[in-house]
Amino acid sequence: MKRKLISLLLILAVLAPLTAVYGAETIKIGALYTMTGRGGQYGKDSEVAIKIALDEVNAKGLPGGAKLDVIITDDKNPQYAVSVAKRYITDEKCKFLFGIISTGIGLAVTEVSKEYKVIFVGTDHAGTDLTANKFQKYYFRTSNNTFQSMMAGAYYLKDEVKNWKKIAYIGPDYAYGRDQLMELKWGLDKLGVKYQLVGEYWPKLYEPDYTSYITAIIKAAPDILVNGMWGGDTVSFIKQAKPYKLFEKMKYFHVDAGGNYEALAALGADMPEGIIMSARHHNNWPETSANKAYVQKFYKAAGRYPSYAAEGAYVGIHVIAEAIRKVGNANDTEALVKAMEGMKIQTPEDPPGFISYIDPKTHQIVQVQAIGTTVKNDKFPPAKYMLGNFKVYPADKLWPSFEYIDYMTKVKGK
Amino acid sequence: MDFNTLIAQFVSGLSVAMLLFLVASGLTLIFGVVNVLNFAHGSFYLLGTYFTYQLMQMFNNFWVGLLVGVIGAGIVGMVIEVLFLRRIYGRDQEGAFQLLMTYAFILIIDDVVKFIWGPEYKTIPKPDALMGSLNIGTTVVPTYNVFIIVVGLLVVLFAWYFLTKTDKGKMVRASSLDRNMLGLLGTNVPMIMTLVFGVATAMGGLAGILAAPLRTVTPGAGVEVIIDSMIVVVIGGFGNFWGALLGALIIGEVLSFGILWMPELATVLTFIVMIIVLIVKPEGLLAKKMVGRK
Repeated sequence: MKRKLISLLLILAVLAPLTAVYGAETIKIGALYTMTGRGGQYGKDSEVAIKIALDEVNAKGLPGGAKLDVIITDDKNPQYAVSVAKRYITDEKCKFLFGIISTGIGLAVTEVSKEYKVIFVGTDHAGTDLTANKFQKYYFRTSNNTFQSMMAGAYYLKDEVKNWKKIAYIGPDYAYGRDQLMELKWGLDKLGVKYQLVGEYWPKLYEPDYTSYITAIIKAAPDILVNGMWGGDTVSFIKQAKPYKLFEKMKYFHVDAGGNYEALAALGADMPEGIIMSARHHNNWPETSANKAYVQKFYKAAGRYPSYAAEGAYVGIHVIAEAIRKVGNANDTEALVKAMEGMKIQTPEDPPGFISYIDPKTHQIVQVQAIGTTVKNDKFPPAKYMLGNFKVYPADKLWPSFEYIDYMTKVKGK
Repeated sequence: MDFNTLIAQFVSGLSVAMLLFLVASGLTLIFGVVNVLNFAHGSFYLLGTYFTYQLMQMFNNFWVGLLVGVIGAGIVGMVIEVLFLRRIYGRDQEGAFQLLMTYAFILIIDDVVKFIWGPEYKTIPKPDALMGSLNIGTTVVPTYNVFIIVVGLLVVLFAWYFLTKTDKGKMVRASSLDRNMLGLLGTNVPMIMTLVFGVATAMGGLAGILAAPLRTVTPGAGVEVIIDSMIVVVIGGFGNFWGALLGALIIGEVLSFGILWMPELATVLTFIVMIIVLIVKPEGLLAKKMVGRK
C-alpha cells in the first residue's frame, strides 16, 4: 500500500508541471501588417522579428506559464483593417492589437482600440497624430514618430549644414508626407533658422515615375531638397534623380525613412555618396552587442538584414511581455496601461548609457535619433553604402513637445 | 519660362509618356481585338521585370534578360488566354467573369512572384552603354530616358507598319471590327486572339523591363501602373491603338508641365483631363475611327 502511494505521488509529481503547461493561457496578439505590394517587405520583416521576439519572451517565461502568440493578417486598407481588428477582439479574444505600417490605417485602428478599450501597440507607422492630437490612452507606439525625426533634422540643418537658405520638399501626398514638412518647418522656426521654401511637390504614394518632378525641382534650384518618401518610393526617386545629376546640384536630406536598410540594399552601388539620411533603426549603429545580436538573429532567421520596421515589432512584443510580467496577467487592461506608461525598455537602437522609455503622457517611445551621411560600406550586402558620420540627438530634446502637440491640434483638430 | 526648362519638361514628359504608352497599348489592343478588359495587364509588366531579373542573375546581361523577359511575359499571357480566358468568351455576364478572372490573376501572379523571388526590392541595373547623360544646351537628359523614347517610337513605327501594311495586321484590325464575319471567311480567329493576347502581354512585359532600372522592382509594381494606363486608354478610346499613343502623350506632357506650374494639383491633373475628355467626347478622342460592330 505504502509502495503504491509513493508511486502515485511520483506520477503526480511528474505530471504536475505538464498539467500546468497544458492548462497555461495563450495570450493572443492580433497583428495587422501590409504583406503585399511595395510595403510588403515591411510586413514580412516585422513577421520575422515578431517570431524572434516571441521565442525570446516565451523562453524567458510569463506569469502562470502563459505564452504569447501572434496572429498576422494583411491590413489592405483602413476599412478592412478595422473589420479585422474588431474580429480579433470579439471572435479571437485577442488581448492586444499590434503592428500596422501605414499611418492612415493606424489612425483607423486606434478608434477600434479606443472603442473596445483594448491596447493597441503601433510598431511602424510614424504619423505623429497618434501620439499627439489623436492620442487615446490605449494606444502605445514602439518606434519613433515623424516629429522626432524631423526635429532632429532641424537641429542637423541648423548645426551641420552651412551656407543654405532655400529648401524644396517632395513627399507623398497623405498625412505622413504632409506632416513631415509641417514638422520640419516648425522645428526650423523654433530654432530660429531663416529659410525660404522654394517648392513643394506632392506625388501620390507609390508613384512609379518621378522624372517630371525631378526636372521641376532642378528648375526651382533649392540649396537643399528634403524628401519625405519611404520604401520603394525612395528607391525609385534616387534611381531616377541620379542621372539628372540632382545630387550634385543640391544637398539631399531624407531623415525619417530615407536611410532605411531596404533602400540601401535595393540601390546598392546606385546610392549616391554623402547624402544626408536617417531611419528608425540602423543595422550598423550603435555598435553595441545588443544591436549586433539582434541584427545577426534576424539575418539567421531570414537570410537578409532587417529594415527598420522589424525593430519596432521586436520591441513591441517585448513591451507587451514586460507589461504582463509587471501586472501578473493579461486581463487587467487598465493595469497594463499603467505598467506600460513610463516603462523603460532596452532596445537594439539604444546607444551605450541610454535606455528607451515610453512617455507616460503621450505613450510614444522616446529614443535618440542618429542622422548620418551615406558612405561606402559593404559589410551588409547587398548594400554597398551604409550611413556613417552619425550625429546623435538626445531623446529628451525631441519628445515630448507639448508646444508642438498644441500647434498640431490647432492645425489638424482632435 | 526659359527654353531650356521647356525642353527639360517636354523630354521628361515624353519619357513618362512612352512607358505609359507601352503598357496602355497592350491593354487597349487586348480590349480592341479580344474584347477583354484585362485588369491583370500590369501583372505582365511585373512578370517581364522578374524574368529579366532572373536572367540577369544567371547571365548578367541586360539585353538577354530583356529578350527573355518579353518572350516570357508573352508566353504566360498566351497560356492564360488559352487555358482560362477562352472558357468565358461569349458567356452571359462575360464582363463580370472577365473582371473576376483578371483580378484573380493580379493576386495570383503577385503572390507567385513573392513566393519565388521574395518580398524584398530587387535591382536591375542599366546597361553600361546607357549609363550616362546627354546635354541639350544646359539641359541634362539621361541617356536611358532617351533610349526609352526611341524604343517607344520604334514600337509605334512597327505597329503602324504591321497594322496598315501587312495582311496579318489587316486581319487583326478586321477581327476587332467583326470577329464572327472573319471566322465565317475561314480565318482562325481564336489563334489570332491568342497571338494578339501574347503580343500585348509581351508589350506589357517590355514596359516593365524598360522601367525596371528606373523604378522599384517589387511585388505590387504592376498594380501601380494599371490605373494610369486605364486613364490613357479612356482618353484615347477603348480599343484604339493610336488613341493609346495620343492619350499617353497628353497625360505625360500635362503631368510634366503641371508639376512645373501647379505642383499642388499634379496628382489630380490626369483625372481632370480624363473628366474633360469624358464630357466632350465620352468614347475617347480617337475611338470613332476604330470602334465598329462586334
